[in-house]
Amino acid sequence: MKARSSLKQEFLEKWRKGLQIGRNDSTILERKDAIKLSADVAIAATRNAATRWRRALLCDVVSKNPTNKHVVEQILGHKLKNTAATTRLTTACRRRILRRGQNYRRRKRNKRSRALRKLVPGGEEMDGVLLLQETLDYIVSLRAQVDVMRRLAAIT
Amino acid sequence: MDVVGKDASVEPSNANDDSLNYHTPNIAPEWQVNGNNLTNTSIGMTSVCNSMVESSACSSPSMVDSFCPTVWDHSINGQSLGYCDVNVQNDVSTSSNLGSVRADLGWNPSAMMRGGMFMPPVSGMLPNFPADSGFIERAARFSCFSGGNFGEMMNLFAVPDPLNPFSQGLGVVHSQRHEMNMAELSKEGGLFMGKPGAEGSPFKNEKRSESLHDEAKQGVGIAGNDSDEAECSGRGPQEEVACMTGESPGKGLGPKKRKRGGVQNAQNDENNETPTQSAETTKDTREMKQKGDHNTTSNSNPGSKNGKQGSRGSDPPKEDYIHVRARRGQATNSHSLAERINDLLMMQVRREKISERMKFLQDLVPGCSKVTGKAVMLDEIINYVQSLQRQVEFLSMKLATVNPRLEFNVEGFLTKDMLQSRGGMSSLGLLPDMTMPFPPIHPPQLGLIQTCIPSNSAEALRRPINIQSPSVCAGFKEPSSQVSISSISEVSNWEDELHNVVHMGFTSSAPSSSQDLSGSLPPGHMKAEP
Repeated sequence: MKARSSLKQEFLEKWRKGLQIGRNDSTILERKDAIKLSADVAIAATRNAATRWRRALLCDVVSKNPTNKHVVEQILGHKLKNTAATTRLTTACRRRILRRGQNYRRRKRNKRSRALRKLVPGGEEMDGVLLLQETLDYIVSLRAQVDVMRRLAAIT
Repeated sequence: MDVVGKDASVEPSNANDDSLNYHTPNIAPEWQVNGNNLTNTSIGMTSVCNSMVESSACSSPSMVDSFCPTVWDHSINGQSLGYCDVNVQNDVSTSSNLGSVRADLGWNPSAMMRGGMFMPPVSGMLPNFPADSGFIERAARFSCFSGGNFGEMMNLFAVPDPLNPFSQGLGVVHSQRHEMNMAELSKEGGLFMGKPGAEGSPFKNEKRSESLHDEAKQGVGIAGNDSDEAECSGRGPQEEVACMTGESPGKGLGPKKRKRGGVQNAQNDENNETPTQSAETTKDTREMKQKGDHNTTSNSNPGSKNGKQGSRGSDPPKEDYIHVRARRGQATNSHSLAERINDLLMMQVRREKISERMKFLQDLVPGCSKVTGKAVMLDEIINYVQSLQRQVEFLSMKLATVNPRLEFNVEGFLTKDMLQSRGGMSSLGLLPDMTMPFPPIHPPQLGLIQTCIPSNSAEALRRPINIQSPSVCAGFKEPSSQVSISSISEVSNWEDELHNVVHMGFTSSAPSSSQDLSGSLPPGHMKAEP
């Protein structure tokens, strides 16, 4: 309970931090994207941003739109000096995995595992065992995120 | 039975020899030493590698001497297994093509090359063959249809087209033999390679057996089609089919046996094939005889016996074949037994890890307690993750529509969350209005505000809650009220965090935003701050 609540609180705070950034959002879609972005980055920054999906998510966020970088930085509280490193790490992992015949075979194997890889950020480069592990963590974080957002939406 | 037994007895020895051959370039002498056994087994051992072996196919010892060393050297490059794997891979990839091609593959002295017959070396050897017409004749004589096989191989390697009639004719004959050889070779090869990794490979075999089935079926079917008219008229294909549909393992030996019978039948019955073919069939028959007298006898009684023996005998070849193919999936550089065992252990460990994580996921994902099996569980997990992601999207959209600005009053939410997460029971004493877990924003805010009022200046509390007026910074600096509440609610750290967060949000928010926020505040909130 305590851990869960602290996760949620941590997420909430970081989310707020991300939302504090002034934006010129006029349309609902823009606002929604901003909210979602902050929420995703916040949930990815909770606990230790060491798991692969978190790093992959942050990398995706930054790469998709460079302007998101300051959001991420604000939430993380430090400069994203490791973005490049993370990307490199992901690429290196990907290459390492690709080289291994086993993982190559496994990735081709299952429709379901392929679908799961698409869902979990950074799942393409994970092997079977790691994928399940990351999915576990990702589900926990997603649940916390949805919980907090739902409550907030219920309030407002 | 006899044939099977003999084959079995022969093959292990051959396997051993092959293992030796794998590692020793001196195949020729060993091969010769083994003499008939080797020849027989080698004949039967033409597996997928047949195509390549074909090129090097020299049934005759003399030819072997000339060819084998060279081919052997190629194969011996410490890649016997690897080559086999390559072959298997190639076969797998082009199963459809190879099915026919493999069927057409002549059985070759690839037996020696069992492990080592591979496309690369063979293809290198190929060019030598066409020029060697004499070789072809010899090959024909020794029922080494490498020439014809070569044509087939050329087809295989180049474009599968009916090249020369010679090759075609040979191919027809060869196809049958190929099947047998394939089966035998696969069996023997698999036997050799499968032995060490017997434990681990079963599950892999299961997976690959199907593919093998398909491929073998293709090969057998094609060969069967070809050989139908030629040899086994009715029996061959039926037996083949029986072998295929029956047990995949039995396929290896079955087709072989069938082929022999078919060959004899062809000899006896019809000469659908060209004269060369018939001649070759004769040679094939002879070769068959070489393999085992029992086999020949069984050939005489081809119908049921072949089928039976085929089904039974092909079990080990099939398994070995599966082993070979299984190993293809594994790292091709795992030659030694120790490596294979290590791979097996790693696979086991990996499976355990996966099952452990699946158990965790089962607890996590709602409604998965009854589900068993990885597939359905994965489906549920995928659905759950998808639904969670969609919820995030939906909720963010909802929040966007509700708030004209993004800085919504998170404080009230925080409070509520605090209540829920911490139970908030301790705070009930102080904030009786905040007992409801999901109250609308008014009560908690009111309660909080009211609580703050008696404890301290309401503004001090209100301002942190409403990050509206930047000028409230002064009042904001009084943590006492909040602290008291937090201490009571046993959320001291949380309160401090909230305090800090609010402060930060407060200071960072632009005045305009604060104004907007104030506009977005619910009326209750507004009332709270007179």
